[in-house]
Amino acid sequence: MHNLEPMHHLEHRLVRCFSSVFPDLDEEQIRNASIESVPGWHSLASVTLISVVQEEFGVQVSLTDLPNLVSFSAVQNYVQHHLAS
Amino acid sequence: MKLIDALAVIRRPLPGNAPFLRVSLACGFTPLHFETFLTAALRERSSAERVEITTGLFGDLAGNIEGIRPAGCDALVAVLEWQDLDLRLGVRNLGGWRVAELPDIVKSAQRMLARLEKAILTAAASIPTYISLPTLPLPPLFTTPSQQASAYELELRQALSTFAASLATQTRIRILSASHLDEISPPSNRFDVQSELLAGFPYQLSHASALAELLAALIRNPSPKKGLITDLDDTLWSGILGENGVDGVSWHIDQKAHIHGLYQQLLASLASAGILTAVASKNEPALVQQAFEREDLLIDKQSLYPIDVHWGPKSESVRRILKTWNIAADSVIFIDDSPMELAEVKAVFPEMEFLLFPKTDYQAFWQLLRRLRDAFGKAIVSEEDSIRLDSIRAAAALEKSSNGEGTSLDSFLQDAKASVTIAFGKEKEDHRAFELINKTNQFNLNGKRLTESSWMAYFNDPTTFLMTVSYEDKYGALGKIAVLLGRMGGKAATIDYWVMSCRAFSRRIEHQCLGWLFENLDLQEIGFAYQPTDRNKPIQDFLAGIAATPLPTDVRVSRADFAEKCPPLFHQAKATVNA
Repeated sequence: MHNLEPMHHLEHRLVRCFSSVFPDLDEEQIRNASIESVPGWHSLASVTLISVVQEEFGVQVSLTDLPNLVSFSAVQNYVQHHLAS
Repeated sequence: MKLIDALAVIRRPLPGNAPFLRVSLACGFTPLHFETFLTAALRERSSAERVEITTGLFGDLAGNIEGIRPAGCDALVAVLEWQDLDLRLGVRNLGGWRVAELPDIVKSAQRMLARLEKAILTAAASIPTYISLPTLPLPPLFTTPSQQASAYELELRQALSTFAASLATQTRIRILSASHLDEISPPSNRFDVQSELLAGFPYQLSHASALAELLAALIRNPSPKKGLITDLDDTLWSGILGENGVDGVSWHIDQKAHIHGLYQQLLASLASAGILTAVASKNEPALVQQAFEREDLLIDKQSLYPIDVHWGPKSESVRRILKTWNIAADSVIFIDDSPMELAEVKAVFPEMEFLLFPKTDYQAFWQLLRRLRDAFGKAIVSEEDSIRLDSIRAAAALEKSSNGEGTSLDSFLQDAKASVTIAFGKEKEDHRAFELINKTNQFNLNGKRLTESSWMAYFNDPTTFLMTVSYEDKYGALGKIAVLLGRMGGKAATIDYWVMSCRAFSRRIEHQCLGWLFENLDLQEIGFAYQPTDRNKPIQDFLAGIAATPLPTDVRVSRADFAEKCPPLFHQAKATVNA
């Protein structure tokens, strides 16, 4: 469990990742972001976002999981799970 | 660079009037993050430019290159991978790896290389072209175990090398160094199989970043340094001349002084490529003179100029050397084995680059050699490079003569037996002319630079012309030293660019240029797209001498005014005029 980091720290880093791909969103909008609520969240943005997240957290994201990573909270849960395992 | 940083770089605001750098990226894979990294790397190197990258169709590298339209394109970047030569050399297609199919794969790759070569040569005729050869491993299609090279693999690599070597001879084509890429992007960490199969993007992010960085460095490379000033004792040779004597200093392997021999060898190589090399040494001049008579020296004494030897501060030597070379300190590297000497010169010339000669650390010495090659690296060695030092010696001799008592500049110029050779036309393949436009600061009409593509585009206007001037006198040849780019309009011409090497000052060559234009183009007026810069005082002084003072930005000189103000010219002028 040594990979676990404080929740707020992880969330802050994840907000940075989202912000790099969706620079027009503020922090609050990012925390509530989902594929339905963000107009620019298309497939290319998804691939870019996941690549940024992989690089930031050092987790390997399977591209087959991509269809499930459709909101900030889904990505957050995914990263938490992989850091813990 | 990480992807998150690259995304931040490309979103940095630019002024509304920022010029475009339009790059056509030709590759067979989905450019995805590579496009992002390349845009960011170019922005980092050229922060004032708006980088715009266009890409082509997936899986059609050759077609993408063949479809390039030169108009509005400043650079073509072609990124090859093995599957671009034959789809069976990739993993996204299941064309078969049976033994019987291997010869056909090789033949098919050879055919594709021939097609690519033709397409690249066509594109490079109008656009500067940058090529990355395959960077990813070949798939395991050969029958040999991985530690054994297959004959088919070697045939493929041979075909690729022949293709690259042929293209590398072209002036407007640059091939990315695969061995340099190997150093910063380990081959085993490059291929992302999942991304390739699911997204058509074959690179690990770190590899995409490294490849983009190197390509950006090829496209927007820093200007090479121009001069190197070296110490002698424990630097050019091992030992102290004043203590060990002329025969006691060494640079040979049997005296464990081989690194000094290698250093001499590299300096000789740099000098032969037109890099200015000089000596600043605290020593007895007569002793240094004797040491340079040793026949086993690997660098010719004639390649080192000036050799400034005395017991005073080295910064004094450096000041004299820079004055003789007439170049700025930021174009020069100073090398010494003494940190104290480096610090003394650095205090006076902080903009210079300083390198410690690591006389006992062989690895650091190896890095020093590599740094020197990088700092002075140039794609093409021109004829002018080979005579640069001679012309500086000639200039020094001329200055010394013209400063003598009871003489005038007129009588010296008359005695110089100078000849000026003018080439007038549209010879846009003139690399030396392009180089002069982009590196000359002092006699420079406006300080404007030209990219290769804007250079080519300039000549699309039928009214434009290129005039180059070569010079020779009894002191030696200076080679091609002046370039004018202008436009004709009836009885008037406008000069848009005008540069002249500082080595050619004080010879009235600039007067000869205008005189020739007035006379041979039957002009009544010449206009100049003049702009003052921090460094172009020589051309400001010249224009002020023949035009109104203070200088307006729209400088115009009439034929009558020029005839009145032009001093006597003693050159023998020859000209070739091409349609």
